Amino acid sequence: MGTRTETEERSHQSHSHEHDHGHGPTKPRLSRKRLVWLIVGVAGIAGLLAMRGLVGEASGSPLPNQVQDLLTLSFSVIIESLPFVVLGILLSIVVQAWLPDGILMRYLPRNPVLRRLCISMFGVVLPVCECGNVPLSRGLIIKGFTVSESMTLLLAAPIINPITIITTHQAFGFDDGILVARIVGGLAIANIVGWLFSLHPRQFDLLTPKFAAECRRPDGHDHETRVGKSLGIFVRESSVIMPALFIGALVAGAIQTAVPRDVLVQLGSNPLWSILAMMVLAFVIAVCSSVDAFFILPFASTFMPGSIVTFLVFGPIIDIKMLAILRTTFTTKVLVQLTIIVGLLSALLGLVVNYVA
Amino acid sequence: MWPSIQRWRGVILIGTATAAIVWLALSGQLVLYIHPRYVVFTVIMAVITLVFVTASTLSRAAADHGEDDAPVGRGPRAISLVGLVLAGLTVVGMLVLPPATLSSATADQRDINSTTISAGVQNLDEVSGGTAESFAALTVVDWSSLLRQTNDLSFYSGKTADVTGFITPDASDPDNVFYVSRFFITCCAVDAQPAGVPVYYPGWADTMAVDDWVHVTGEFTTNPSTLSAQPLALNPSEVTAVEQPAEPYLY
Repeated sequence: MGTRTETEERSHQSHSHEHDHGHGPTKPRLSRKRLVWLIVGVAGIAGLLAMRGLVGEASGSPLPNQVQDLLTLSFSVIIESLPFVVLGILLSIVVQAWLPDGILMRYLPRNPVLRRLCISMFGVVLPVCECGNVPLSRGLIIKGFTVSESMTLLLAAPIINPITIITTHQAFGFDDGILVARIVGGLAIANIVGWLFSLHPRQFDLLTPKFAAECRRPDGHDHETRVGKSLGIFVRESSVIMPALFIGALVAGAIQTAVPRDVLVQLGSNPLWSILAMMVLAFVIAVCSSVDAFFILPFASTFMPGSIVTFLVFGPIIDIKMLAILRTTFTTKVLVQLTIIVGLLSALLGLVVNYVA
Repeated sequence: MWPSIQRWRGVILIGTATAAIVWLALSGQLVLYIHPRYVVFTVIMAVITLVFVTASTLSRAAADHGEDDAPVGRGPRAISLVGLVLAGLTVVGMLVLPPATLSSATADQRDINSTTISAGVQNLDEVSGGTAESFAALTVVDWSSLLRQTNDLSFYSGKTADVTGFITPDASDPDNVFYVSRFFITCCAVDAQPAGVPVYYPGWADTMAVDDWVHVTGEFTTNPSTLSAQPLALNPSEVTAVEQPAEPYLY
């Protein structure tokens, strides 16, 4: 698991090219070099585990309480989201490397509005929360979905995914229409945002130049096996998502250690302020949509139901960790617009529920 | 060097973090960060991740890729380098720092007993008909839920509390009153809600320190402290120092 030096890298590449040209597009072989790296990888993981085991014996933390809690909170966010991120990368691999070309496109309606509606319903069968949806949506754009269509999925899927629906039902049942408002509201917001961004004439301008270039690049790895392609996607997506996840989690931990919780809770009983407080809370805590219903459950008696709905709809789409991850794919301008639109729409949704319920 | 760092950073970060998760799971400390119901799922995904991390060292696509990326400017490269260093430090922290629960700093910051913990709510009528054993089984969270519902001393008379938790000083009278406190968790450490039972123990700080784990038995009385905001407090018959339990959070 070390980093390679440039010379090693080159010799490694020339080696594998040799294989390509020497033997044509046959199945790849294990070169000796790769075998060495495999051993390095396995030994690296074993070494990390051994090291962790040794260091773990030392008890008592050298850090002051606040710093220690900041790290505990950040690690908690990372450990809680990592399985979902991996699940998202695996789904992205399935879409990009294993599904036959065009199979997703074939059955979708031609009308753009209906088409986006159908795409937003994909989420019902995808057990991925928001951070895992980013690699999946990137995969769909590479596969030929428009940016706005992919964005519709990105926004809807975390809210209507089966795990989210089950946990929200476990937490709230059908009380105060929270579950229904979350599902219907989330779908509506995703479709409205998808429609707004579909008005942009040059869809690729919504993407970061680097990712747009990746999408334009013709699929030049046809000679590659599906397994090789899958591993390539794993390496690429993890190098995009992981640094963003870590930094997002670190910022989320820092804000939570710094901002007293009761500042938010005191705002709980006012219909308007409680909605804004919930949006700030959702932005700061950055937990995955699959588990956020349990997160907000203890606040249910303090806050009005509409504010809870706002939290449950806004949080899955926009939070500090999610913005860091989205920035790998979309431009800053798009993210600012997205935050404002989603913020306004989910606040509106919360107000409606507050006054109706 | 830079292109290969760019290419392999994700695999290294995800591999190291996952190794840390596997170790936490093996040593039973994953529950310091997430609710036990997510442990199995997290471990399954961690094993899958390790398989992919190992296999990706064989990946030819990974080795080929990225060469044709446009050269990056100095500014973006610097930002991305700072980000990478931060992420790297975090993951090293996961690997070398001893795993820890949340401390009294967070209990303080989140305001003990500020939210109603709906899942831990005890029914007054059911509790009042209980036996000595059933009272002994009540946790810090249970008692704090009862204290929120009634301050009627007659309800508490003859009921002995037997609780374990860490010490958080009472902000309104830190010299004489401390909370035996625990965090209550519904999803992960991020949503930890502090709950606590006030204990009247003048000069507790002479023998104990904040964040120490203690086992307290006693009965509730009117809080003798004039400064404390708590109307009732535990009058301890016994306070003993204990080890931090394997599952420090309550669910």
